[in-house]
Order: sequence, then structure tokens, then C-alpha cells
Amino acid sequence: MKNAQIVGPSATRRPAPGKTTASADLPAPAAERRAARQIAITIVADIKRRRLAALKRTLETIGADPANNAIVPFAALPRTHFARLVALDATEGPAGEVFEPQLVYLADVDEPPDAESALGRCLEELVDVAGAGLDRVFGACVGYPAPSRATPAGRLAFLREHSVDPAAAYVNTVGRSVRQIRQEDQLRVAICGFLDERRAALCELGAVELRCAIQDFVAARAELAWALSAPPSPGLTDRVRDVAGLIALPAGLLALSPVLLPALVPFALALRREEASDPAPHVVPSRDHVLRLAEQEDHGPQNQFNAVASDGVGFVKPGIVRRVTAEVVLRGIDYAARHIYDHANLGGVKTIHTARWVFLDDGRRRMIFASNYDGSLEAYNDDFVDKVWWGLNAVFSNGTGFPATRWLFFGGARQEQPFKDYLRGRQVPSQVWYSSYPGLTTLNIENNARIRAGLRGDMSGEEVEQWLRRI
Amino acid sequence: MAPADLSSGLERDDLQGLLASGYGHLREARYLLLAIDDQTRAAAWLGRLAGELTTARAKSEHSAVNVALAASGLAKLGLAPELGRFPDRFLDGMTAPHRSRALGDVEADAPENWSWGGPTTTPVDLLLLLYAEDKDALAALEQRLTGVEAGLEVIQRLDTEWSEREHFGFRDGIAQPLVEGLREGSRDDTIRAGEFVLGHRNEHGQVTDRPLVGRAADPAGILPTDPVTGDADLGRNGSYLVLRQLSQDVGRFWTFVDRATSGADGRSDPEERVRLAARIVGRWPDGEPLVLAPDGPTDAQRPSDEFRYHDLDPDGLRCPLGAHIRRAHPRDMLDPDPGSERSIAIDKRHRLLRRGRGYGVPISAASALDGGGGDDGERGLHFICMCANIARQFEFVQHTWLNSPKFHGLYDDADPLVGPAGRSLTLQATPVSRRVKDLPSFVGVRGGAYFFLPGVRALRYLASIAR
Repeated sequence: MKNAQIVGPSATRRPAPGKTTASADLPAPAAERRAARQIAITIVADIKRRRLAALKRTLETIGADPANNAIVPFAALPRTHFARLVALDATEGPAGEVFEPQLVYLADVDEPPDAESALGRCLEELVDVAGAGLDRVFGACVGYPAPSRATPAGRLAFLREHSVDPAAAYVNTVGRSVRQIRQEDQLRVAICGFLDERRAALCELGAVELRCAIQDFVAARAELAWALSAPPSPGLTDRVRDVAGLIALPAGLLALSPVLLPALVPFALALRREEASDPAPHVVPSRDHVLRLAEQEDHGPQNQFNAVASDGVGFVKPGIVRRVTAEVVLRGIDYAARHIYDHANLGGVKTIHTARWVFLDDGRRRMIFASNYDGSLEAYNDDFVDKVWWGLNAVFSNGTGFPATRWLFFGGARQEQPFKDYLRGRQVPSQVWYSSYPGLTTLNIENNARIRAGLRGDMSGEEVEQWLRRI
Repeated sequence: MAPADLSSGLERDDLQGLLASGYGHLREARYLLLAIDDQTRAAAWLGRLAGELTTARAKSEHSAVNVALAASGLAKLGLAPELGRFPDRFLDGMTAPHRSRALGDVEADAPENWSWGGPTTTPVDLLLLLYAEDKDALAALEQRLTGVEAGLEVIQRLDTEWSEREHFGFRDGIAQPLVEGLREGSRDDTIRAGEFVLGHRNEHGQVTDRPLVGRAADPAGILPTDPVTGDADLGRNGSYLVLRQLSQDVGRFWTFVDRATSGADGRSDPEERVRLAARIVGRWPDGEPLVLAPDGPTDAQRPSDEFRYHDLDPDGLRCPLGAHIRRAHPRDMLDPDPGSERSIAIDKRHRLLRRGRGYGVPISAASALDGGGGDDGERGLHFICMCANIARQFEFVQHTWLNSPKFHGLYDDADPLVGPAGRSLTLQATPVSRRVKDLPSFVGVRGGAYFFLPGVRALRYLASIAR
């Protein structure tokens, strides 16, 4: 079934080269009463070894212009926040196990309206937009249909078969769509322009009158009329699901507590024993490695990050204790991301757009962590060391080679230099990285949303003054 | 990793004096950029110099001498196999392409256009810092120290011009961190020695990575031993020194500020002009911070620098959120908890010990506005700072705070004083902010390099390798 809104890869829908998509390319506002959740599309496929080098070259072509290249033009997928393609080299686990090269496709996409299967619809759209371009990318993978049989249905079937659920996924603000983010930035720019132009007259006004003048300005512009209503909120089903999800985990833990609590102490002691003997060498990454990564960084206010287990380092440590810990912690992170840190703040870190953890193998020992963040890697790492060290320790200390922790949460990432070197050493480049709003930070996006929110409803004089400071 | 065993207190005899003092009482200074021509003679020269270095022990009455080495200089002294144990930042230098991007050294400020330190100029191996009471004494000092026997080539002499104020007319060098163990003072400014002196505990309570050499590489036992690895500690009591030659376009600065504050009839408004300039900097020309004196300077003899931002000015109504001094040293305005000790603790991990001096003929704002000063050459600042971690301190401040258009939730503002052209300055105000748009670039980069400022023993060791 085809949706009339789906944007095909035709030239007329493509934005001009070098520009991000303008509002005209956004899907029509129909069926927007219900907020779209973001879904973390994740496709993992083994690459045929002899095809790896050529695939990397193809990815570089895409990566040179991710928005508008001819192979997979991401700008033609208007609900996509971020997307990346990462080709991982073959590597070995800690015991010499061989891991084949893999292609990882990660995208953060707004749930399409009225689709039976959100993921299915998103994959259909990818197939529609990229068409034969997908053959040039995934054709290098094991199990991809032969050229003669590469039909839209064949491509879709491959993507479905190779899509996996991330072990945990985080988005800065649940339910804030690409469309909303872009529109709200246009709103801010329009209001600033209005104020700059009419400054002399407007500055005579008091705060409350000034707010009225801004409201009138927005109301008078048809293309901004949407701004006077609230952004879509979660539908009833979503809200019920949220509450159920919020309660389910604590309720389950409570129900199982007669079993869990007595087990907790011996488990913690076993973990502590392992921590004390796990090797944690401080390995400084090579200059070449760092240089290759640094070339991709700091071209704008946003950056991307991948850390993956490789060369024996970063794999889930052997033994039941570590496996259980890793699975439990990841489940906890996923729960917290959905129900606690769902609005612009991850434990004091406000600069992360999206992040996810994905197991790359059936044995669930090799993991990739991927994120989109604002500012430099140094600042990002400092946030880890200063603010959310406990969370990083809980998850990453289950991987081989991580700086030594104590009682799961302590130590570890608090050791600045060994931790930074560990992360840098595990980092791999994204051959393709796309952002649909590369000029906006999470702080900008949140502030824009609050500017819009201040256009409606009653406010005290003081609230109006505070609101005006956001503009 | 167990922390190194660190004796309490700093070994002042082993610290170069620049870590403890800017030698403000010695009004004449010259920085010599040197290349090593002859390894043996240069090594012997450095060995002699080690005996003459000014240390943090005693006040240098009449002159002072300090020395620092670039990665290329260490290699020429024969340290090559051990170079890998210096951090990447130092080894790659200031001019790697990704570094230029992060530091904002692009377009006209790109290293290709530098007069020294760039890819097309002679590599700088050594930096010799000389200080004296007057010009004659300085010349004599230079003459005595850099005779023909030194095996060195002088690439450039960077002369300095003593002044309390930088060329735009503002008192400079006010907010300085105090190195714990060397100086006493306000709690917010007292920073653990390891943030500046290698081999000591930093603000994480840890010892910053530093260069070590195998014990066998130091047969004479010149270097102290690192208790953790048993290696010889080449880094201990050293620091990293960042030198950048920053040219200042005083005429452009005051002309821009003048035009931006002129009335509708085009007439200048001297009072508003100074006010806007002060909002760019965050201080009045006498150094008084806008946060403490929002309406104008109070003519205090020695303006106080003891303040925090959050309680007095959380919204930037007194001092713009993007003003230069807020970016360079945000104090307690940082996320996640502005106004808290936690915020101060984060700020403390990004402090710089600044020791730069100006160069070129000073010019007043008035004559700059009249188009004067064009004939007497370039003027600016030989910016010098020291830190233990170039990435977390100097580069972080430059990239994440000064140059970032997104600092503190802003949209398109970079540092209005030292940032790139084309950005805005948002002036927070009631009822609503105003934007000064399309700021030109007032400061250019003419040269720069990263150096290692060794401890005295480490310098003796470096001088001994080639023997």
C-alpha cells in the first residue's frame, strides 16, 4: 500500500544542492493531532569481504553530500532526523573469535501517521526514495537479492530481515518531530526579523503589549498560523502505553523482589570480585586513528560518535555475571530514556540529540554505541566524566578493557585520561552522516519550542518578561 | 591506576619561573623563536642555560630567562623514540587541518598566511623568553645568551611593549588562576597545581598524562622516577606553553563600535560607544566588570574581580551572555546547575595561566577613529598561556567557549572581540534583546605554536641526550 504523502526521489522534490530542505518539502500537516514518536531504525548486515573496499568508496560518495547525493538522498526522507551508514571492518573478539565486516544503517525517524507498522512504512519509504541506490549500498552484503531480482519488494524484504531492535535508545525530546523542529526555527527567525525591523516602535511598549504585538504578527502571517496552536500531543493509546510502561518495570521488580533481593548481595559480591581482577590497561590510541576521526569532526555545531567493540576490546566480558549486568543495565537505560529522561536532559547532559546501543551479533557480545551530539568531542567526553559517569560505568564497564570500576558505578569514567583514551580507541568513523537540521543545537531546539509555547495562553507580567528573554 | 606518590608542595627550584610570575616588574621582554642548526652545540647551550633559568624559587630582581621546546626541537635533541609519549595535541602542533578548524585558524588566519609557525615558514624548535628592566639590559642579556656558539638560528625576534592595557584600551590579564601551592587567594580562583604543572594532581584529583622515558634512557639518573611505572619522569614540573601572535585592528574596532552606536543623524555618541565596547569585552576599560558596575565605571582604584554571574546577572542584562570575559571564563554560569559549586568545579577544569604581552606602538581610541596609526606597523598581543592539558584547557576554551556560535544556548554569536567575522552579538535587554549583526574580525592570527616548558631537571636531561 502506498501513501500519497510519500516523497519520491523525483527531481522536483529535491531541494537545491547545498541547502537543507525548506518547509515546502515537509509533509503536509494532515493527521498531526497525534505526536509522532521517533523510532530508531537499525539495520545490520554482514558485508562480503571482497566487496568491502568498493562499498567504502560508494559510502564516501554518499557521505560527500548526504542530503542530495544520487544514491541515497536523505533530504528526500523528510521525517528523518539523523541517519548514518557505518562500514565496520572484520575484527576479532577477546578469545580470537572472528567477526565479519558489517554494514550498519542507523536512522532516527518520526513515526509515520496512520501506518500499521511504523518501521515497515519507514523502510518502504527508504526503498521508494533510494530505489536502485540501495543495491549499490546493500548489494555488498550477504543475503542481498541478486541484481536480476533486486525489485522494490526484494529490497524491502532484505531491510526487514536485517532490521534489529536496539538494546536501548535515547532521544533528546520524545515526540518532537523534524517538521516541528524546522518550523519552530522558522518561527524564531521570523519573530527576530520582525523585532529587528520594528525595533524603534516596539521598544516603547511594555512587555505585555510587546507580546501582543508578536502574537498579532504571527497571527497575520498565514505561513506561521500553526504556531498559535500547541504542537501535537501523544494520542490516548500512546499515553496508556506510556503509563503502562512506566509502571510495568517497577511493578515487575516489586513482584519479583522476594527472589531478587536475596540474590542481589551475592551477585554484587561476584561482580565486585570480577571488577577487581578484570584487566584494564590504559591504551593510548594511535595518532593515525585519532587523525582519521578528527578529520570528520567540528565542521558545524553538531557531531556524530560511534564506539564499537573491536580487536578484543569493548566486548561484553565472559561469564554470566557480566552478561546479566549488561542486559539489565541496558534495559534500565532504555526504560529511563523512555520514561524519565524524555525531555531535553539526560542526567544533566543537555547536548545529546539521540543515542543508542545495538548488539551486532546473535550472541550479544559485540555492541555499537552511536550518538549525535552538540559541540566538540572534548566537551562531550567532559560531560561524561563530570556528569553522567555513573551511567557510562554501569553500561560500558561490562566491556573488556574498560577502566576499572568499583561496585559497577564508581571509578571507571572518573579517570579522565584512561576513559577518554578508551572511548577514542573504540571510536570508528561514520562514512555517511546526515542531519536534517545541522545548524541547530538541542538548546536552540528547546528554546524555539518554548518561544512557540509562549505565544498562547495566559501569562503573568513576570512570565512574559522571562519569555521575551528567549527571543 | 594508582596515583603517583606526590610530595606535598611544589619543588620551586625545578619549576620555571613563568609558572609563578609574569615578571611584571621587568618591563622589557623579548621572545626569540629559534631553530636548532647544530645538535651538539645546541644541546651544550641548553645545558648551560639550565643553570641560568629563572625558577619559581626566588624573585628575579633584574632579569629573567625561561625556555620552551616544540616537538621538532625535542626530536632534534635526539628524543625521537620517546616523542610518542607526549600527547597528540603537542606532537601534531597547532597547524594540523582539523586543529585549525577547531581553533578558528581559517581563511585569512590560516597557518598558510602566518609569518611564523606555519607550513611555509622555518619550523620553530625553541622558544627563549627574555625579560629585563630596560632595553639595554635586555639587549645585553640576549647578546650574552645567544652567541655564535649556540648552534641556533634566530627565526624571529618577537618584541613586546609593556602596558597594563591591551591595544583596544582595556586593562588585561585580570582574571588569573592561582596555582595552588604557589599563590594564595580567592577560593574560586585557586586551582590545583596539576592543571598547570605536570606530575601533580589536577582538578579531577588525578595526575595528567605526561611524557615518561624508560629508566635506561636516563643512565645518569637526572630525572625523577615516576613511582607508578618506574619510568624516568620527563614531564614532572613541566607545562605546555601556547604562543599565538594575535594582531589587533584597533581602527576597525573603534570604527565599528562608533558606527553601531551613532545616532540616526550619523553623529557619534561617545558614551554609547564606550558602553558597547565594554559590552563586547564584559569590562569597562579600567577593568571593572559590567556585572559589578552595570551603569558605568566607579573609578575604583583596583577594581574587584571577585564575582559570580548567576546571582547577579543570570540573563545577561548587565553583561551580555556572549561577552568575551563570560566566554573565556564562565565562572558559575555553566550547565547543568548554574550558580552552584558544581558549576565552578567544571569551570576550574578549563583555566589558563596567561602570561602574554602586547607588541607594537599603542594608539588611543580617539586617534584610531581619526584614521591614525596606519603608518607605525602592526600591533597586537603575543598571547601566551600555560596548561597541563592542551585539549581540555586551551583548545576547549578556544573552540567550545570563544568560537562557538552556540555558547550558552545562543544561536549565531561568536566571541565578539576575538571571534571570526560575520557573527552577531546579542545584547540581552528589557523588554527584548537587540542584535548587533555582522561583526568584523578585530583580531588576526599571525603565528603560533605549542611548546613544552620543561622542569629544570628535564631541561638538563634533554641537553644530555645528544652527548
